[in-house]
Amino acid sequence: MKQPTAILEPRGSVALDDYVVEVSWSADSRRLAVAGGEGKVFLLSHDASAMTARTVGEHGMGAITVAWQPRGEAFVTSGQDSRIALYDAAGNRVSEQRPAMAWTTTMVWTSDGKRLATAAGKQITLWSPSLEKEHVFAPLSSTVVALGWDKPGRDLGAAINGGLVVHRVEPPRFQMRHYKWTAPCLAVAFSPNARYLATGTQDGSVHFWHLSTGRDSQMRGYPSKVEHVSWSGDSRYLATAADDQVVVWDFSGKGPEGSRPLQLRGHTDRIECVAFQPAGNHLVTGGRDWRVSLWLPGKSSAALDAQLTDSEPTCLRWSPDGRFIAVGERNGKLSVFELVRIAGG
Amino acid sequence: MSGFEIAGFGHALRYHVTPMATTDRVPVTVLTGFLGSGKTTLLNRILSENHGKRIAVIENEFGEVGVDHQLVIGAEEEIFETNNGCICCTVRGDLLRILGQLLKRRDKFDYIIVETTGMADPGPVAQTFFLDDDFKRQFLLDVIVTVIDARHIEKHLDEMKEPGEQVAFADVILLNKTDLVTESELERIERRIRAMNGTAKIFRTQNANVPIDRVLDVGAFDLQRALAVDGSFLEPEYLFEWGGMYELLAGRFTLRTGSEAHAHHDHHHEHDHDHDHHGHDHAHAGGLGLVMLAASAADAVALDASIEPAVRAFAEEAKTVACGGHIVPGNTRYAIDVDHDGSHFDIEVSKAGAYAVFCEHAPAEFDLRIDGVRPAAQRAFASHHHDEEISSIGISDPRPLDAKKVNDWLSYLLQSRGADIFRMKGVLSLEGEDRRYVFHGVHMMFDGQLERPWPSGAMRRNTLVFIGRKLDRQELEAGFHSCTA
Repeated sequence: MKQPTAILEPRGSVALDDYVVEVSWSADSRRLAVAGGEGKVFLLSHDASAMTARTVGEHGMGAITVAWQPRGEAFVTSGQDSRIALYDAAGNRVSEQRPAMAWTTTMVWTSDGKRLATAAGKQITLWSPSLEKEHVFAPLSSTVVALGWDKPGRDLGAAINGGLVVHRVEPPRFQMRHYKWTAPCLAVAFSPNARYLATGTQDGSVHFWHLSTGRDSQMRGYPSKVEHVSWSGDSRYLATAADDQVVVWDFSGKGPEGSRPLQLRGHTDRIECVAFQPAGNHLVTGGRDWRVSLWLPGKSSAALDAQLTDSEPTCLRWSPDGRFIAVGERNGKLSVFELVRIAGG
Repeated sequence: MSGFEIAGFGHALRYHVTPMATTDRVPVTVLTGFLGSGKTTLLNRILSENHGKRIAVIENEFGEVGVDHQLVIGAEEEIFETNNGCICCTVRGDLLRILGQLLKRRDKFDYIIVETTGMADPGPVAQTFFLDDDFKRQFLLDVIVTVIDARHIEKHLDEMKEPGEQVAFADVILLNKTDLVTESELERIERRIRAMNGTAKIFRTQNANVPIDRVLDVGAFDLQRALAVDGSFLEPEYLFEWGGMYELLAGRFTLRTGSEAHAHHDHHHEHDHDHDHHGHDHAHAGGLGLVMLAASAADAVALDASIEPAVRAFAEEAKTVACGGHIVPGNTRYAIDVDHDGSHFDIEVSKAGAYAVFCEHAPAEFDLRIDGVRPAAQRAFASHHHDEEISSIGISDPRPLDAKKVNDWLSYLLQSRGADIFRMKGVLSLEGEDRRYVFHGVHMMFDGQLERPWPSGAMRRNTLVFIGRKLDRQELEAGFHSCTA
């Protein structure tokens, strides 16, 4: 039997007294900001010896998401109190806004950390790093389910019922394009090489557009809705998941049209998180089978490693340097694993 | 799984009859009703009552935050189609996201209540809970509660389509503000509602004062329980709604309707007016249908034995009798003129004995009575004589069914008639299966599972209920019969 080429090495964990809704790594891959489902906001640091956590804030009835500024020393949170808040790296709440009555459900920074986009209901807002309102877009035709920037931070994609809407952000001009698909779209992801725009849909398909031509393709056959799509760092693979299936499409050569996808087998219950390594080809997935799996698509259809969790994993995030993976759980446990490569094999 | 394919466009509806885990699902109450019906009163009572439960309320507008363990969330109602061009596969997009967020807690809520706007079609809300397996696994659409303003419901039913839909979708109906209408009006309303929705449990309330356990986690989709409440709609439908048994001596009796009391005068006047105005052909416009038969005894057994001759008599041409006219026991269908107050008719009884009287409508509606005698036994019947577009059709049959045939039939039915079928529920006895197959559906959305086994030795029986618009009993029965194993 072949030796695995990489494993997940536990590097510490901490028990938070809240459901871990979302985790976001600091730019230096040393700290973590955490949003709790019952409202708490935590700041964690980890090094080789220990993990420490402290509560730095609260969002009334529940926190919804958190996003650390890339290359920056700040993070933003949103909550069921309809507010969004800006924290500095020390955990001080430095600014707060209430952009709408509706919850702000998604917040994404451009990769240079110079602009933040948030969505509340049908409304998308752009903010400066100090949380000053830069631009409010006209409401879209339905609620924004997901947002995603392209790598240069020029195109902002929004998943709605009826396709993807892309705003080209070149202030003071904001051109809008609509990539139509007659189903509720649940995800949006630009390939890092800027050639494709992908989404997963409520009707159990993955849809992608060739950005140069606008031509689109649909990949069907999923057993249920597809909420997760993630590109590999080299844009070769698009990882998707529905139910207990991890399905990876290969965009090399002529692309995935007419091909059979890679099907990664191992999970026995619904997959909740799918994340490709930034600038790498390792993939982690987490499922309701209380399992976090590590894969290397294209090399093996079996998991390289798997770690069991203490409860349902709720979020999986790679550190920006691609070394660590943070795993949040329903019961409040937050663990950090390190991707350790094994020589030989 | 090897079924992956890449395609250009196209979409096919998929039906799946897959078992769902029933444990641990958060029960959801959907609360509908017109503005002013008492919906908010009920909601406030649920929230303020000390029941120690964690409740999340999703309101139809952005409101204030709740207290204690309760969370009140304002939602901007956003309805969207989940299938290209399929208007009855609409769901509430805002609910999908809010409910998803509510799950992100270590301890689940005990109950979730979703309030709809007054004019809302309950379809999209209900369908949201059928949208995908993930949702079905986490939430249980437990009960749809419709609050009705007794004073205005008849007018609303006559003039708009939404109140009828809200009645049709309901598992529980609060006939509220009963203090503002008379008893006979309540009976008339209840009969009309019952004709539309044969399975709903109806509570008469003031200030929506129903026990909380009747509207939260009631297990309304437990069909056995629902049918235990009122199974009369499963019976054949008759042209009469009431039968009574009398012990009469030979001689002349007076049958009366109405009274001299002023209140009744008003009531009748309003009643007539309504029907003239909206063109509804209620019984008394052409005379109230009535049949009087000699019977073997004045008891329930003899009443049942009289049903068949009564059905035959009701199939005959009616003989119109004006006020003061004569009624003679026999196989004649009379149409007695009750269009004015205090009408009276003479009954000629030539031979002492038991007599059965069958009446097109319940006697209470017309204060119909025979002077000096009371019925020794009586019974209400489900009547087919309705003007409503919306109705309930029940099927009850002991023959085991073939699972594949059932699947094909239900799929066909949902595709072809899904828009008109608001609700369907059923417990099926499948050939070769020890467990009951329990299903329910909203329009084209469907959820079914094998549940607990049939009790050994007990009679297995298929029970199906359809509530919808322009339902065709013959079509449904023919479809059902084609599924027998």
